Amino acid sequence: MTLPVPLPPVTSVTRQLSRRSVFEALLHRSPISRADLAKVTGLSKQTMSEVIDAFGQQGLVRQVGRTSGNVGRTALLYELSPEGGHVLGIDLGARRLTVALADIAGRVLAETDEPTDNRGGAWALDQIARLSDRLTRDNHTHLSRIRSIVLATPGVVNPRSGAIEMSPNITGLGHLNVVALLGEKLGSPVVIENDINLALLGEIWHGCAQNVANVAFLALGSGVGLGLYANGQLVRGENGAAGEIAYLPLGGDPLQAESRLQGCLEYQVGATGVLRRYREAGGSEVDSVIQVFERAQVGDPIAAQVIGETARLTGLAAAAVIAMVDPQLIVLGGSVGARPDFADQVARLLLQLSPRQVEIRTSTLGRRAGVVGALSVALSRLHDAFFGVSELAASLPLPPPAHGSARQ
Amino acid sequence: MTREAAYCFAADLGGTKLAAAMADARGQIVAELTEPTDPRGAAHVAEQIAACASKLAQTVGMKVTHARHVMVGIPGAIDPRTSRVSLVPNIPGLENFDILGFLRDRFGPDAAIDNDVNLAMLGERAQGCASQCRNAAFLALGTGVGLGLLIDDKLFRGASGSAGEIADLPIGRDPTSHIPSTSGAFELEVGSLAIVERYRRQGGTAATTVRDIFRLLEQGDEVAASVLDTTARWVALAVVSLQSLLDLELIVFGGSIGVRPELYERVQRALPGLFSRPIAIAPSRLGDRAGLVGAAWAAAQALAHPSSPVPGGR
Repeated sequence: MTLPVPLPPVTSVTRQLSRRSVFEALLHRSPISRADLAKVTGLSKQTMSEVIDAFGQQGLVRQVGRTSGNVGRTALLYELSPEGGHVLGIDLGARRLTVALADIAGRVLAETDEPTDNRGGAWALDQIARLSDRLTRDNHTHLSRIRSIVLATPGVVNPRSGAIEMSPNITGLGHLNVVALLGEKLGSPVVIENDINLALLGEIWHGCAQNVANVAFLALGSGVGLGLYANGQLVRGENGAAGEIAYLPLGGDPLQAESRLQGCLEYQVGATGVLRRYREAGGSEVDSVIQVFERAQVGDPIAAQVIGETARLTGLAAAAVIAMVDPQLIVLGGSVGARPDFADQVARLLLQLSPRQVEIRTSTLGRRAGVVGALSVALSRLHDAFFGVSELAASLPLPPPAHGSARQ
Repeated sequence: MTREAAYCFAADLGGTKLAAAMADARGQIVAELTEPTDPRGAAHVAEQIAACASKLAQTVGMKVTHARHVMVGIPGAIDPRTSRVSLVPNIPGLENFDILGFLRDRFGPDAAIDNDVNLAMLGERAQGCASQCRNAAFLALGTGVGLGLLIDDKLFRGASGSAGEIADLPIGRDPTSHIPSTSGAFELEVGSLAIVERYRRQGGTAATTVRDIFRLLEQGDEVAASVLDTTARWVALAVVSLQSLLDLELIVFGGSIGVRPELYERVQRALPGLFSRPIAIAPSRLGDRAGLVGAAWAAAQALAHPSSPVPGGR
């Protein structure tokens, strides 16, 4: 009944799969001998030797000494060579620009940051190019040797124009083809991803959400946003706008013009909302949310009330996330969300606000989360480019941070 | 494999009626029937499901033992690990009855159960108004409220199988008030009891059911109109919440109240004032057959891809 299906070119797929499994073993078990590589991958010693020799010629592996302590002959040990390629992660925030460099094995080699050029637009892109160039040179490599670049930014990339939209805090990006311009300046294609999604992936790779399959990252700072990770994948939504919780109808009249413009929830809990509510309640002049927290700590009842209400609304947002998405873990991040005193209040209130409870943790990477997430995506893309097998949809798992973060 | 072996049996169990169907290997229903649900409780209902399968097998001219792939929709939550059923208010004893064990005993190890609203979502995806969608929801409004979610073209269940518990959405009462919302906040505003209660609170006397309220609305009853306006506003707020969290392509309205144009048209009118981008909603095309069509489709999927993860499946 069934028609004969033409067989795929077996040898090439088999070779691809062999190379992929040897690479994966090197990624997770270095330093490792040929014999152990053969054991782990199930490949014959002959095939293993061929793959290792090929990797050696490509500069992907290097020898790092010999096994010791055993009776008998010692064996050569191998690990992935940094010469195999580097990746860049970039986090373009409204206030801070961060660039980080990692090698193909996932070792974070260096990281640098400076205040974002507040003229925005083309100036910010030039600044990215300058900082990236310096970071690579300082670490004995060069932009031309970077194989994969991911940029974290607030807002959403318009796939047609390459412009970054819905990013009100960095001026002048809505009219530029950021993807094309930055690709030109850096000399290789740049992938742009939402900063909250990347902060979530950062926490999953190096932070407090390692080995959790269903996570929500709730970021509260100048604005409010949500990243969703379910069954090992980002949830993006039909138009890339999943997690736009600024528009949750909580905390105010959703019919008000401000609610419709800025989002009902964000109008209350975003930084300007917190300052406005503090002012309206009779609080004295302050210019940052951090100051409102400091006032609350020294007994200012108005400040305490405003922070308490912010925590309650954040708790209601978390309750909505639990009801609809059912995560295992909610990570609170952002300059306000990651404050332990604030997170404690949210977790306490959530006991009353939600019939179901999930664990709440604060971001352990803080403002590094976005750049670490950018590196993780850049790495996965590099691995896919080298070892992606079309029959396998999933990327190779990244090595855990214990694998050697040269930066620390 | 004989031709008969490729049949699937599907059922959609409700508090008042039981719908059952025999479908071919592609999930196309070839025979179906509907009966009032046996009021004597779980064990009788289970036997009733098995009897429906026998009747349908006879109609189609096959042996009932050939219906190896079976999917039954249950009006309650199903624990993905234990397959225990909970939150089934309408069928006495079902929470303590091993319905999956019974079905496997009768039909073999490939029998499975799933939440009825999840199956309704699959029904609309297979043959209804969500046929082009990869990200959609089925919002069931009736005695209670329920939600089935389709994310990246798969049913979305969450970490513990409780995704889409829209009854618990903290949307209800005055969102500006400082009274903390509690469990079931949304269901307390839009469940059928809440709607009738709202009608009474606003001074109405002529209605004891939501059906009465819809009838009074046709006769120009102002209280009925006002009650539906308020209800639609709460539903619209839940739709906005859903959209801001998950960015869906379409939200299908189902259930005895959800399919009424008097309701979803009011919701449709309220949405532009609440959200800056358009939100697509539509009434269920399959109506009360959505769950049955989805069950047949899910059973056929399991037949085609034996490893597809279905709770209570394998």
